[in-house]
Amino acid sequence: MPILTANSIQKRFGTVTALSDARLEVEPRQIHGLIGPNGSGKSTLMHVIAGRTLPDAGSVVLDGQDITRARPSDRARRGLSIKFQLARVYRDQTVEENLLLALQVGTSMAGLILSRSRKRLRSDIDRILGDFGLMSVRHRLAGELSHGEQQWLEIAMAMATDPTVILLDEPTGGMSRQERSRTGELIRAAATRCAVVIIEHDLDFIRELCDRITVLHQGQWVATGTPAEIERDPRVAEVYLTRV
Amino acid sequence: MALVAAVVVAGPLLDAAGQSYWLVSLTRALLLSVLAVSTNLAWGVTGIFTLGQAVFFGFGAYAAGLLATKSGVTSLLVLAGAAGAAGVIAGLVIGAFLFFGRRRVGELYVGLVTLALTYALERLATVWDVIGAANGIPGVPLPTLLGTEIETGLPFFWVALVALVATFALGAWLLRSQFALVMRAVRDDDERAEFLGYRRPQVQLAVFTVVSGIGAIAGALYAVEEGFVSPSFLGVALSTQVLVYILLGGRGTLVGPALGVLLLEVGGQRIQESLPSEWPIIVGAMLLLVIMFLPGGVMDLRSLGRTLRRPAVQPTSTMRPEVAGADPHGE
Repeated sequence: MPILTANSIQKRFGTVTALSDARLEVEPRQIHGLIGPNGSGKSTLMHVIAGRTLPDAGSVVLDGQDITRARPSDRARRGLSIKFQLARVYRDQTVEENLLLALQVGTSMAGLILSRSRKRLRSDIDRILGDFGLMSVRHRLAGELSHGEQQWLEIAMAMATDPTVILLDEPTGGMSRQERSRTGELIRAAATRCAVVIIEHDLDFIRELCDRITVLHQGQWVATGTPAEIERDPRVAEVYLTRV
Repeated sequence: MALVAAVVVAGPLLDAAGQSYWLVSLTRALLLSVLAVSTNLAWGVTGIFTLGQAVFFGFGAYAAGLLATKSGVTSLLVLAGAAGAAGVIAGLVIGAFLFFGRRRVGELYVGLVTLALTYALERLATVWDVIGAANGIPGVPLPTLLGTEIETGLPFFWVALVALVATFALGAWLLRSQFALVMRAVRDDDERAEFLGYRRPQVQLAVFTVVSGIGAIAGALYAVEEGFVSPSFLGVALSTQVLVYILLGGRGTLVGPALGVLLLEVGGQRIQESLPSEWPIIVGAMLLLVIMFLPGGVMDLRSLGRTLRRPAVQPTSTMRPEVAGADPHGE
């Protein structure tokens, strides 16, 4: 049974149709790539799933529950996590504070005011900092980190909420080859705990990493399959050829 | 601490020197500081750009004034408690209207709605006979504490100081808590906070409600100290004045807003009296200079001093609220 399903999503912005029949089906602990040429609707679909944009038609189902019109915070509490295209970490807070912020989401407001979970979460912070190689910068302001470190911190924050599905919008954007490789390792490690949906322009990265790939074109679903199936699919070839 | 210590010394000194005028000015500045420090928790720390915080100050003042004059209640604790409750209820109702809804709430929206509210309520208070219309509520009796009347001058100075210290303590505790991370997260990127799972409206409403309650208590104390409630206590002038205190002192810092009040209301008192027409221009010019050269208010002078003393090769740290700079684990 899929952990995340987006059915026949439609979305218009004024006269522009961003999505006309977008579909996505993700199995638990699967790394699922979402690809397509520029303007194909990948980011819009991601935003519809995350709750940033409400669809005009269609539905989003997470772990058997319809979340189509749920608030982003409710989706997050049900296990949906997102890393944005441009890293959105809290630049004026330290790396450790950013992680604590993500980890303490489940604590009640009274618990937060009384700082009840701070000590308990410290070991979780240490573990995540170690996993993501951020231990040496734990007390630095997030805004002082390199681009790659900020991306990793945001992935770490998304993972810290213990999600069932994590959405990664261009996780390797602007990264060096070495940083991309490290990011791939982090995503593989994440997939041992949750499903991962990735939007990425680097098709080699997607091919190496993903279990399955969905292709969108002009807001419509084109194909879904393994990387090998997608490579052989003539509809996909046509999509990428026609845009040139 | 240094600020509180200086004020603790200043009160009795002024009293001993027979400077009752300055003592009353200082007392009122302390009560306005309570309003400014609490408003800063909403605006400076949580990003709720409230342009109408005087509404709650005024609610508190009217609640205390009406209770004291119509029902004969003089107990300071009862008056402050009733005013606080009125402020909390008003904060809940107005906050629910402001923060709940499908759309994200921008700073400008909150600013415009609260500005309209403070303007409308001041106008209403000016014409509503039940609360004294334009005359306000004169003759508010002096309050009592444990059966003893609290006179203006040094006794009331101590009451005001306790109120400010309590506000500082609450603020410091809040800013050291895990909740402060959420407050700042909502201020810096509320959408990101929502995607992490935080319910922005609840966070904003909780802060707004607490801050409104504190503002109302400050208003009640101000009213019984002055013995009078004026429609201006609810108005636009005081609401914007509070923002000036915060900007001048240091937005987002705990002590900065109180410094802003003391600078303008005590430090600038003589100039204000000598040049009443020019005073707004002077304040405007000061504000302009602060925004241009000390964007973190006079509290920036501290970090500026540290930067100048530091060897040039070391990287400078980003200005952070003095309490927020503490070890996040409080150790």
